Amino acid sequence: MKRYLTGIDWIIHTINHINKKETGVGNMFQVVLQLEGQLDETTLQKSLNKFIKKFPVVNGRSMRDYNLAPYWKIYPKNKMLSSSIRTYRLDNNATFSKVLFTLEQGINMPFSSIREHLVFHLIYAGKTSFLAVVFDHCLFDARGAEAFLNMDYSHRISLTEPAHLCKWKEKFEAGKRVNRKLVQLSKNRPMSLPLNSASDRKFNFKIISLDKRQTSAIIETAYNKVGYLMLMPYALAISIRALHSVFLKRGTHASDYIIPVSIDTRSAEKVHQEVFFNHMSFFLLRVKAKEADSFSVLLQSIKQQVYDQIKVDLPGDIEKASLLMRIAPLPVLGYLMRLPLKGQIASFCFSYIGEAAYTSPVFMGKKIHNIFHMPRVPIPPGLGIFFNRFQGKLNVVISYLDGILEKEEIDSIVQELTLTLSCEEREK
Amino acid sequence: MNKMTAADIEKTLIQEVATILGVDSSAISPNTPLHTLGIDSFSFVELLVFIEKTFNLKLIESGLTKEDFQTLHLLASYISRMN
Repeated sequence: MKRYLTGIDWIIHTINHINKKETGVGNMFQVVLQLEGQLDETTLQKSLNKFIKKFPVVNGRSMRDYNLAPYWKIYPKNKMLSSSIRTYRLDNNATFSKVLFTLEQGINMPFSSIREHLVFHLIYAGKTSFLAVVFDHCLFDARGAEAFLNMDYSHRISLTEPAHLCKWKEKFEAGKRVNRKLVQLSKNRPMSLPLNSASDRKFNFKIISLDKRQTSAIIETAYNKVGYLMLMPYALAISIRALHSVFLKRGTHASDYIIPVSIDTRSAEKVHQEVFFNHMSFFLLRVKAKEADSFSVLLQSIKQQVYDQIKVDLPGDIEKASLLMRIAPLPVLGYLMRLPLKGQIASFCFSYIGEAAYTSPVFMGKKIHNIFHMPRVPIPPGLGIFFNRFQGKLNVVISYLDGILEKEEIDSIVQELTLTLSCEEREK
Repeated sequence: MNKMTAADIEKTLIQEVATILGVDSSAISPNTPLHTLGIDSFSFVELLVFIEKTFNLKLIESGLTKEDFQTLHLLASYISRMN
């Protein structure tokens, strides 16, 4: 059985290829459930084996069809690999930084074979356990992974996707518009932080978790400063501001931040049917470095760009245009993706995922305290800030490649974000 | 084109929100706050773009308070007044 890959899937495969080449580990992602009490390992293993066998798509691999369209080969159920759970037992009084260290080990571990795309790490830390679902971004996106955990045995999912080998004029027209946008973005070299060249670099993470009261205060601040339901532009603005001083201190001479902002293209209803593969697209935002000096100018610029790009449907054009890119082999597309921005892809990556697609307050009978995301970021830029929400509580995760930030730099970014998120009034 | 009534505008907005959220329009109540319907930043901007294209009103720069935007009923009343 086969499922054709979309253009966005192919871009994700390309990023996977680049990351593997740069660090030996692909474009992996980790969704972490923080649970009350100790999740039973044997029950989890049995349940997962039974459950995953229902979805042979998890052990597939990408191939190219006779018509040259890439597809995901889905093997028969009797050729499934068993699901892998690795268990870690920390001290009863282990701090969160120890847990985070273990979580970082998990997300920096390569998959054992070309057909392995999903691994579970179970961490016991006293009265709490953490279940980390490590997955290949080629298999599903973050909301898809959350929805996957939400599924039951009777769940019906959609795996069909046409080859998209028609309506060429529409795709070329979209390609023309996307190309124009890229030309416009590439007038100046983007602000970026240099990457070191070691091949065994791992990703590091900082996590800021807020409670419901703090989250409500931030939503209120975003309403007042940007407008109703404008949390995403506000989150991006505070991320730029947190990074801005670090970029400036490094003496970066470029004048613009280029930020690809990923968005979910499924409706909230569809996320539970379109679980596998990537259902997303991007905004491509350019923020002048001098705009970052004034928070109100920065907010206005982001809000206006999001509005303008939705108006011309740039995310839709990227989806269509990327279908044309599937003809390029992964190393070639990886090279082409760096061309417009002079060797860079972006200044940093950003996403704001709204309320989690995992809707239940419990997982296998254990109360969930929190769900947060730990993504490896495309290289370049090797740096990203990600917001997600679980049951009204906001998490901010900074993901950064070894060597890209000094300790005092990451500490200052965390401090700046924490201060802004605590709604301290610092408007210039 | 005849001027649309507030009720017609409300019906049009409900239909658009249903399309954006991928649900049946019967599931959308005009008096439910938008954020509890599952509208987020992106879907809200989609709605604002739809309003600009359909009613020729650029609400993103209008300085409306969140109370004006809070439900489709209030939004329809505002659009009706402005049209």
